Amino acid sequence: MTEITKDPRVLIYFAAVFAALVILAPMPGDGGLHSRLKYGLDLEGGSWLQLKLQGAIIQPQVDPINILDKQFSDALGRPVEVEWRPESTDYQITVDGKASKTLVEDLGYPQAIVTPRGNATKISIEASPIGVIMNYLETSLESDVKYLGSDPLSFEVRSNVTRESLEAILAQVGGTLAPGDAGFSEGVTEETVDETKQVLDRKLNRLGLQDIKVRVVDNKFILIDLAGVNVADAQEIVGKPGVFEIRIQTKGNESMHVLYGDEIVDVSLPQGDQSGNWGVPFTLSEEGALAFQKAAIDTGATRNRMDHEVSMHLDNELIFSAPLAPDLAASLDVAPLRSMVAQVGGDSQRAHELYIHLREGALPVNVEIIGSGQVTAALGNQFKKQVLIAGIMAILAVGLVIYFRYREPKIVVPMVATSFSEVLMILALAAALKWQLDLPAIAGIIAVIGTGVDHLVIITDELLYEGKMPSGKIYLARLSSAFGIIMAAAATTIAAMLPLFAMGFGAFKSFALVTIFGVLIGVFIARPAYGRIIGRIMQPGE
Amino acid sequence: MDPETFISKYEPRKMVAISLAVLAVALSILGFTYIKTGSPVNLGVEFTGGTIVTVPVVESEGEIAAKLAGYPVLDIRDVGHRYMIQMGPMDDAEYKQLSTMIDAEYQDPEIKYMGPVYSTRLQEQAKTWIPLSFVFMAVVVFLIFRTPFVALTVILAAFSDIMITAAAMNITGVKLSLGTVAALLMLIGYSVDSNILLNNRVLKRKGRTEDKVLGAFRTGIAMTSTTFSAIFALFLVSAFSYLVSSSFTQINILFDISVVLIFGLLAGLMNTWVMNSNALRWYLARPKKSGARRQKR
Repeated sequence: MTEITKDPRVLIYFAAVFAALVILAPMPGDGGLHSRLKYGLDLEGGSWLQLKLQGAIIQPQVDPINILDKQFSDALGRPVEVEWRPESTDYQITVDGKASKTLVEDLGYPQAIVTPRGNATKISIEASPIGVIMNYLETSLESDVKYLGSDPLSFEVRSNVTRESLEAILAQVGGTLAPGDAGFSEGVTEETVDETKQVLDRKLNRLGLQDIKVRVVDNKFILIDLAGVNVADAQEIVGKPGVFEIRIQTKGNESMHVLYGDEIVDVSLPQGDQSGNWGVPFTLSEEGALAFQKAAIDTGATRNRMDHEVSMHLDNELIFSAPLAPDLAASLDVAPLRSMVAQVGGDSQRAHELYIHLREGALPVNVEIIGSGQVTAALGNQFKKQVLIAGIMAILAVGLVIYFRYREPKIVVPMVATSFSEVLMILALAAALKWQLDLPAIAGIIAVIGTGVDHLVIITDELLYEGKMPSGKIYLARLSSAFGIIMAAAATTIAAMLPLFAMGFGAFKSFALVTIFGVLIGVFIARPAYGRIIGRIMQPGE
Repeated sequence: MDPETFISKYEPRKMVAISLAVLAVALSILGFTYIKTGSPVNLGVEFTGGTIVTVPVVESEGEIAAKLAGYPVLDIRDVGHRYMIQMGPMDDAEYKQLSTMIDAEYQDPEIKYMGPVYSTRLQEQAKTWIPLSFVFMAVVVFLIFRTPFVALTVILAAFSDIMITAAAMNITGVKLSLGTVAALLMLIGYSVDSNILLNNRVLKRKGRTEDKVLGAFRTGIAMTSTTFSAIFALFLVSAFSYLVSSSFTQINILFDISVVLIFGLLAGLMNTWVMNSNALRWYLARPKKSGARRQKR
């Protein structure tokens, strides 16, 4: 047998344990010592949301002429004639009698030219066939529709829609969906998922939340982890995209519409003044400013500001309401004003929320919350203490059982030490790769202690088959036989663990990772060294 | 009974038959549950959809039930200084109202909500992946042993472990959650561990079969008892540490995992040392005709 201190397996093992200790050593940081270990939300406290992006990718098969025919004959109440003129890329619609421009605009064609010709009216719409189909889908679904490609013609519908409802809508204009999954598949494009993720990222980052993880699963689900936020607030922040609206109170509980979020061109970071009052400055577009001034004068808010509060709404829910400031009321009486500040008082958190709502009218697609939860930091801390106790107890219990089995400190000590070092190496690997240790990961570590000791028992028993440690060739043959068993067992364990990566949106990924890497560390680093060391320690006559 | 008599005294076929009978009972329990509920095991909230809330105990069960009237409460249970409340599906607005109320009323609440989309998807995944996991394991076992009889006994033992454990879950009311699924998959690993040891010892070494089985049995018992002790520690801490300190409570996920592994390890003992060791004794002792090995599959 080679000298134990020169054996590469033993050297690698000690190097790995040393590296693990270095990685795990607590480092001085803010407010005391910190280890590099990262904990999951269930141990650290926080909340998580699982969102499903609503939408579908569709391939409609429909003639745009039928669409225009139906739209215009329905709106005008009499038959129309539709003609596609490829040379000027426009549609010409002819109808008896008069047709107003507003009616055409209401149908979604503001650029149309309406020309009376004797007893008839000619309407020319500069639009491509694709544009007409898209417009039809948008107005009848009341949803954003994104054009994807022309061959075959496909769109992304950005709201919750079923195949049946789409087919019904298309059937009205003599169209249908392409057969099979190509015609209708739930989900949105990768770009849309990315876009949504970015809006969420920005939204959350602006709140100054730390350690936010926004992950995408299957191009359809977005998972968000928020440390230090309760679930109601998290839902408030994330799940509330929608229509932003400013209104002015007219009389009592009644109010009138002033403008929508698209008239807000810029929003600045919330600012606090000396007395601790917080406000969110924002800038209106020119049209927005005119509309605001007009509404302020019409309602009488400029003269009697206390009775005519300005309110902000998101999805028809009141998020802010305050009277005009005296100086603002006075200047609005004279001229429109584009820059304003929404004052919220002493609550800086509320100012931040308002800021986000003003900034992001909506996510690109509607989202549905399919799962969520929270653990508070204090509870997470308790769990951490409890699992630490569980870990220590597990190792002690294992040590005790081993002692009863072998009654030989020369075996018990190296075995428990090896098992413990395996845990250290897994933890170090987790810290180095920035895995989050959550409760499933802890369960995985304890499971690895279980298999790890199993394997050490196999090695020991195999070597001590005849009651004493053999040497030379027999020792090596026994060792390789033991490794035959534990390698086979490790391979099956790993194979059985693989599915956990895919399940439950990765909720048990940490368990699978810890178990698989724990087994690998065990069979390739710790157990080979143990085989050598135990062989040396138990060598008779030394 | 000493290990030697246990290993060698009984008629192998009888022992195998007893183990298979236990498997048959387990399968009929699962079948019965399937007929009754439409699923072979009782599904937990993760698979059915719903809400779980845990809050510190500051009032009686009646008081908290009254507070939650109007919500679809299914079950309220004391899990050690905390109540665990299970609720059925509710809509977004209701859930938001609930979580805001819970956050305002209680210190350190834990809330978990699984919508129908989540749970349906999880069910689909479980139906695909758990069998696939088993297939992966079976392929690896076949690659290792190559002898069909031996590979099949190892696979049968793992299968029986999982079925008996699942039946035990049904009897004791442990529900299928992500945690228990992980534990069931983990069982595959443990079960194969001791079976590989047994087969390796018995097939590759020279000597009397009974002696080799006995040697393997001693090692196997040591293995199972160490694993058992580690898991039992996990079980004690997750289930009973609240008795020690008032700040502790049950940790459901660890409790579920440890209970399932305890059942599974016990089932594993039977399947390895009652069923498979005797199947091997029978296999090695059978009259050797030429080509018999091929026929006896």
